[in-house]
Amino acid sequence: MLPRIIKAAIKALIYFVFLYALPVFLISQVSQFAPELFADYVRLLNLFIAVVIVFVVASELTAGTILQHAFNIGKAIILIIFLVLALDGGILNLSLNFEGMHLNLWADLRIYLAMLIFIDLIVLSKSVLQAINFLAEKAEQQLPTPKPAG
Amino acid sequence: MRQAIRALGWATNIFWIILLFFTATALYSAFQLGFGIEPPLVSATGATMTVSLPLYVNNRGFYDISDFIVATLIHDRQGATISNSSTLVPLISRGVRVDAAHNISLSMPELIAKGLTYLLFNNTEFDVGLSLRLVYARAVPFRVSTNVSLPWGAPLHNLSILSPTPYNSTHVSAPVSFENHSPFSLNGTIRLELLDSADHLLGSGTANINVPPNSGYSFPFLVSVPDPLDITKARLHFDTSVFTYGPVVIPLV
Repeated sequence: MLPRIIKAAIKALIYFVFLYALPVFLISQVSQFAPELFADYVRLLNLFIAVVIVFVVASELTAGTILQHAFNIGKAIILIIFLVLALDGGILNLSLNFEGMHLNLWADLRIYLAMLIFIDLIVLSKSVLQAINFLAEKAEQQLPTPKPAG
Repeated sequence: MRQAIRALGWATNIFWIILLFFTATALYSAFQLGFGIEPPLVSATGATMTVSLPLYVNNRGFYDISDFIVATLIHDRQGATISNSSTLVPLISRGVRVDAAHNISLSMPELIAKGLTYLLFNNTEFDVGLSLRLVYARAVPFRVSTNVSLPWGAPLHNLSILSPTPYNSTHVSAPVSFENHSPFSLNGTIRLELLDSADHLLGSGTANINVPPNSGYSFPFLVSVPDPLDITKARLHFDTSVFTYGPVVIPLV
């Protein structure tokens, strides 16, 4: 159990560095342009990384069981829902102040959102196949070993 | 099934790499984009005022910009549409700088035809809705919009007639004055009519005008009338290269 906990902690740390610490550092470098714009996205990033780390740790702690694959499937589904909600269905509408001028920004990110969802669906299908494969292997192990004739 | 799982794993990694590469290069390219609007140039030709906005787009990124549109929609303070114009640049390839000018035209005859005759006499400010639209990397439509104010100077600002005073036994002097706050040069004629309380014409006079932009006009019309005491109102008719308008009725004490 301890090695599994250590492995889960290391994975969580890696995910934290590459999915949170680095992006927040990059965002802080460009946040002078529109502080309120990037402040909203840092909050979204906090929620995103919390969801991912919870599922990564849970999946690692339940490695070797069907629950691992269940958590992977749950992670993929929740990430799809989160992406659609975070990107407002792909239509971005923002108001910000820049150099004393009030600007309205609009962007159609539906193609980008579609690419993200597509990748997540591949991850989801992979997790489903892994779960099916796990159950199949479990069932094969429980089958009686045929004895040689004679 | 293991092969299928492995293949899906590889596909996931490859697509993630492609998507992250596109995201990183798109964001980097967006910050390399140079865009600027020069100070507007105002000119007047005939009856049309043109506000020209010189602008440039320097695409130093990795992706093309297509369907670049600058659009302006001008309203007066009451919400009436003054002007609606757009400028299209079909394609700004990567590594290319494009210089263009967005022109906003305001025609005095069109404004008068829309019933916006108060603009002849009153300075005001127009609300300008400015929007920039483009398609980035041929995949992401993007729009930025804002509102600014555009000052309007009336060509007949402070139009007034002083009460006619006897000039000699047959004529009265009726000074007419106004200030041309517009960018138009007013060349043409003013016709002044003096009427009694029953709207009978007592006398009239015509004067040529040549009023440059941002300058004043004052002229004492000499009008022959039978009895100066009968004068109760004046009517002005303007026939210039910029607009034809009248009558403007001004009560006289």
